[in-house]
Amino acid sequence: MTARDEILARVRQGVGRGDFAARRAAAEAALQAAQRGPQPAIVADPAADLASRLRDKAASLASTVDTVADWAAAPAAVARYLVAHELGEAAVATPEVATLDWAGAGLQVAGRGAEDADRVGISGCFCGIAETGTLLLLSGAATPATVSLLPETHIALLAASRIVATLEDAFALVRAEHGSLPRALNFISGPSRTGDIEQTIVLGAHGPCRVHLILIGDAS
Amino acid sequence: MTAAGQAMHFQTRAGQQLRDAVLQRALRKARPLFVGKRARGMAGLAADGLDFESLRSTAKNIRNRTLADLDVWLAIFEERATASGAEVLWARDGEEVARLVVDLAKRHGVSLATKSKSMLSEEARLNEALAAAGVRPVETDLGEYIVQLAGEPPSHIIAPAVHKTLGQVESLFAEAHGRPPVDRGADDIPVMAREARAVLRQHFLSAEMGISGANFLIAETGSAALVTNEGNGRMVTTLPRLHVVITGIEKVVPMLEDFATLMRLLPRSATGQAISNYVSLLTGTKRPGDLDGPEKTVFILVDNGRAKLLGSDYQDMLRCIRCGACMNHCPVYFALGGHAYGWVYPGPMGSVLTPLLTGLDKAPDLPHASTGCNQCGSVCPVDIPLPELMHRLREEQVERRLQPWPERLALGLWGGLARRPALYRRATRLAARYLDWLAEGSGRIRIFGLAPQWTAGRDLPVAAGRTFHELYAARKRD
Ligand code: SF4
Repeated sequence: MTARDEILARVRQGVGRGDFAARRAAAEAALQAAQRGPQPAIVADPAADLASRLRDKAASLASTVDTVADWAAAPAAVARYLVAHELGEAAVATPEVATLDWAGAGLQVAGRGAEDADRVGISGCFCGIAETGTLLLLSGAATPATVSLLPETHIALLAASRIVATLEDAFALVRAEHGSLPRALNFISGPSRTGDIEQTIVLGAHGPCRVHLILIGDAS
Repeated sequence: MTAAGQAMHFQTRAGQQLRDAVLQRALRKARPLFVGKRARGMAGLAADGLDFESLRSTAKNIRNRTLADLDVWLAIFEERATASGAEVLWARDGEEVARLVVDLAKRHGVSLATKSKSMLSEEARLNEALAAAGVRPVETDLGEYIVQLAGEPPSHIIAPAVHKTLGQVESLFAEAHGRPPVDRGADDIPVMAREARAVLRQHFLSAEMGISGANFLIAETGSAALVTNEGNGRMVTTLPRLHVVITGIEKVVPMLEDFATLMRLLPRSATGQAISNYVSLLTGTKRPGDLDGPEKTVFILVDNGRAKLLGSDYQDMLRCIRCGACMNHCPVYFALGGHAYGWVYPGPMGSVLTPLLTGLDKAPDLPHASTGCNQCGSVCPVDIPLPELMHRLREEQVERRLQPWPERLALGLWGGLARRPALYRRATRLAARYLDWLAEGSGRIRIFGLAPQWTAGRDLPVAAGRTFHELYAARKRD
């Protein structure tokens, strides 16, 4: 017997029920029902301001947050941030956002995957999650995962219209717009951190040390 | 990695750990931090209008539903993971895990493997097997990296180096990174984290194979869910051309909505965070046009003693989501540290899981490593009745006559006496006088010859020198 057959036989014995086909059909039906567990209060609150909740939560995760009126204003906002933190004028960006007018803001931005030497990575986001101040980035040809991972500074551009309330809402949006999942859904909540030396929290473990969020078109 | 047999010697190791002053200092420092973090996490839940009890009963239900039809959910997971381009392998035990991984490494010309934390790879003693096959395994979670440098197993499932002090970490880094040791204070911790970052970054970039665990498997999508704070999980699953996920068969959950519920509990229970810094859902391999991601993804689904718990008195233990809250709130864990437990899993969950997975005869003391305070059971986010399961294991020991021999001897003697009332009265009267004499009238015995370990760290209080029978008889006369 192969390991697979042997393990599955043990599992079936432990489960102790024979009606596999019926149980399988019930399981498929449960997947269709997509029932949610208890939801946070913001879900039921018609007055909930998702953008300001996301901003507050992101700040509490040690991210910094800026707001601009539209996409055309994003490169200048990035340039301001880089000057303020003395991070130079060069950056790598996901091909998705590399088409913005970076040169117009005095920046040299390369659209590609990130390499070890890149100090600043600029990406868009698939959506933002207000509940926890989380950014969701999907992997893809125009959105390589390394840009939000290797550089010490990650600058994320997020349209305010793409903010949802919860993780469940984010999953619903992925299903609606993509059907099946891309290779990686990366949920990012602030700069990387570790507490492994004497339980002291240090920002900047293996991922970025700084996450700067630029919210685009937030009317609130 | 310690052998399963080490769990045999819980009492001896416990004594050593109690006398280790450095360890005691590290543990004293960590305990209030862990407890405070979870308390803040729970306060955050309440502030969001969520109730711990209703969330945990939903979570418990998700895990129970999955286990009740585990054959179905594993079949769905396997189909969908395969359809997304991953390969699914199965391993009966730790040895088979090691064999499969070594084989993959050889076939893909791997000389360096970066690892994100995987407790199952500890069960499989994978690092030893890889090293023996000429593959260098590098742990990349900072805590795991520290204990790997020290040549020790992790002492906590989410804080593997909780037993190490700053000074100890500094000497390990100095030696491993080839520099003279420096006098370090708490302010230098960021410098040390940076040093490890720089060293490990080079490994991330050059490793041919990434090995990770999975916090959950999602049947709906055939994905692995990986939760980390450091970002090492992302590195290990993005950069090498081969990614191997090693995880237990019980880790599957039906769908993304279930995962969302569990994620409201897991980080808050573990570190008090509303969400960990990085949560990744990994499905299949690099897609056409993708600039990064592994060309090959392999899941190794491991039994190693889990399947036989299904339908048993201990099935509840399979709900465990490895958050560490039970050990973070356990007085026994904080008196001894994780190494005393002798195998991969420490604390209350280890006291239940180790005997179940390695054999009750090989871990005879662990079901007794309890004060009965039930703090573990009350914080467990999937409501596992840990003290009850330990109790059940103790009952099983008695039924199978597996108790530690002094206990068997004592119970045997007591049983013999209890059936002979006259003899019993005489013997207990004698014993009470004897204890009173040992205590020199102080009411406490400092060193008790019949249980020297018991009195090594505490005194044995002594009754008034008269037995219950005598006192009862005297009362009746009054
Ligand atoms: S037994 Fe419960 S508290 Fe302990 S690690 Fe598992 S889920 Fe967490």
